[in-house]
Amino acid sequence: MLSKDALREIEAARAEEDSPRHALLTALRVTQGERRQVGPEEITYIADLLGLSPALVQGVARFYDQISATPTGQHVLSLCRGISCYLCGADEVAAAVGELLGIRPGETTADGRFTLRLVECVGDCDRAPAAMVDDRFVGPVAAVAIDNLTKM
Amino acid sequence: MAQYLTRNALDPAQRELQTALRAGAYLGFKQALSLPPQEVVAEIDASGLRGRGGAGFPTGRKWSFIHAKEGQTVYLLCNADESEPGTFKDHYLIERDPHLVLEGVAIGAYAIGAHRAYIYMRGEYASLAETLAAALREAMAADIIGPNCMNSGYDLRITIQLGAGAYICGEETGLIQSLEGRRAYPRVRPPFPAVHGFLQEPTVVNNVETLACAARIMAEGAEAFKDHGTGRSAGTKLISVSGAVERPGVYEVELGYPLMEFLQGEAGGIRGGRGLKAIIPGGTSVPVLTAEEAAPLTIDYESMQSAGTMLGSGGMIVFGDDTSMPQALLRIAEFYAHESCGECTPCREGTGWMAWVLRRLLAGEGRPGDLGLLLRVGDNIEGRTICGLGDASVQPVRSFIRKFRPEFEALLPEPVQAVAWQSHGHGPRTGRFGPPAEEATRSEAVDGPPTAAL
Ligand SMILES: Cc1cc2nc3c(=O)[nH]c(=O)nc-3n(C[C@H](O)[C@H](O)[C@H](O)COP(=O)(O)O)c2cc1C
Ligand code: SF4
Ligand code: FES
Repeated sequence: MLSKDALREIEAARAEEDSPRHALLTALRVTQGERRQVGPEEITYIADLLGLSPALVQGVARFYDQISATPTGQHVLSLCRGISCYLCGADEVAAAVGELLGIRPGETTADGRFTLRLVECVGDCDRAPAAMVDDRFVGPVAAVAIDNLTKM
Repeated sequence: MAQYLTRNALDPAQRELQTALRAGAYLGFKQALSLPPQEVVAEIDASGLRGRGGAGFPTGRKWSFIHAKEGQTVYLLCNADESEPGTFKDHYLIERDPHLVLEGVAIGAYAIGAHRAYIYMRGEYASLAETLAAALREAMAADIIGPNCMNSGYDLRITIQLGAGAYICGEETGLIQSLEGRRAYPRVRPPFPAVHGFLQEPTVVNNVETLACAARIMAEGAEAFKDHGTGRSAGTKLISVSGAVERPGVYEVELGYPLMEFLQGEAGGIRGGRGLKAIIPGGTSVPVLTAEEAAPLTIDYESMQSAGTMLGSGGMIVFGDDTSMPQALLRIAEFYAHESCGECTPCREGTGWMAWVLRRLLAGEGRPGDLGLLLRVGDNIEGRTICGLGDASVQPVRSFIRKFRPEFEALLPEPVQAVAWQSHGHGPRTGRFGPPAEEATRSEAVDGPPTAAL
């Protein structure tokens, strides 16, 4: 299910400590990165890999916002809705972006390229309204720029 | 603008080891390694350094709590989760001077007798983790960090761990739980992490900026640190200022620096030449200040305390005179409702209720007693929860309503309209308490609504 690189990364995390649980957070991240979701199949797989119960893996997976139960698009576009970005027009930008992409927050474009998310403060408030494409900070954003970004 | 911690931060080459070394990187670690660990703790204690992560606890004292027994593994955990809204100073430090951060981690670890250290970074900082990892590889290749740090015989292993999106992982015991591979449900204290921390071993959790300060102190001495700042607030502080200002960003200031000078100077004044309405000085978890209250203050622990608020993380959020304070408060309340981990009832339920009542007020569907209700919910959260998030969620609600009451009262219905208020389908259903579905907390997501059984 996972690439060799991914498995190596999980193995490295496992080697850090005696506790097999310790590698779980890394396993979830790596799996999300490659499979774009941690759904039931992925949960069973990780549980087998680390020798943990699927219920435990699911419980931890569902705690985190960046681990998603259903597949995301190829890219995740996260728009900050936090207070500082709100004070800099984040809501207007979010509305405009939603309109451009024709989707609402939480949804994925029909071509499967972008999932749109509204997120809390991402720690980039001096570039408000802040936004991220996957792991990249791209703020401050104007709706127009986002339009270009999604056409790339 | 002070130049103590950030003096090398503007040089993009500072990320590279050779440049950093020329600027004095790791001299503090070298100095530390030449001393017994207790003397490093004593030096940090003498500097008066207080934690920069929010609570301001004296760092030397925290380190002195570690008394490892035979066979125990001591851990230093560097808190780089930085999720307090309005806070982005650690982002700046890690991005601009990763070796300073690593040096601080190494010094902290040495001082408490740890040979293992983790840097826990919020998942959104994955790109910064790469910067830090590259710096760590260089420092390891140069044998500065590793099995025999700078030929001293001291063995240190540093691991960078990324989170996956949850504010509560910044709370020290939440961080520990997350690192252990559990849901980040904070732990009841005592026992404190110094006794039972990561994997039940003695553990210290320190903020990025705190450890960076420790690196400078070991290089230049406690006295040089105390030359900055005032009295009980020694040193400098990174202030991340955002919101309605002309020049948002991270600035290093002397503790004791006048707040208004900072606002007009470094931060460039209020955006668009407008007037100042309010300031949150230390992240959303501390009480807001009106413009009038803020005017005479200085940026330090005591001055903020005298005004009933806190310096916190140094995440300064500025509100212009065109801001609707109830709208702004709703945004903040929604943050806490979303980020409550759901472990304890007052916080899980209360944060949802506060957001929900504010939302109905703003939708023109408020009830006459709603302001009292909001304050009462807050009173019932405060002091009754496992971790500080519960208390933190109350501070903005209480301070906004008290200080900007007319704006909130304007949202209240006339008594006649109040009677006409009907549930619009999102309200608490008969015989069932709890916030509506959109306030789902992390525990509801798995266990079903905690209120379903009522
Ligand atoms: C809800 C909550 C969130 C927190 N988030 C952070 C954080 O993101 N970064 C941080 O350094 N401290 C955070 N803290 C404070 C930590 O619990 C802890 O006090 C701090 O990391 C200790 O480091 P210091 O003594 O160096 O300040 C948070 C506390 C609470 C209650
Ligand atoms: S106070 Fe809130 S965030 Fe903290 S443990 Fe309780 S429910 Fe979780
Ligand atoms: S509030 Fe948007 S990045 Fe901080």
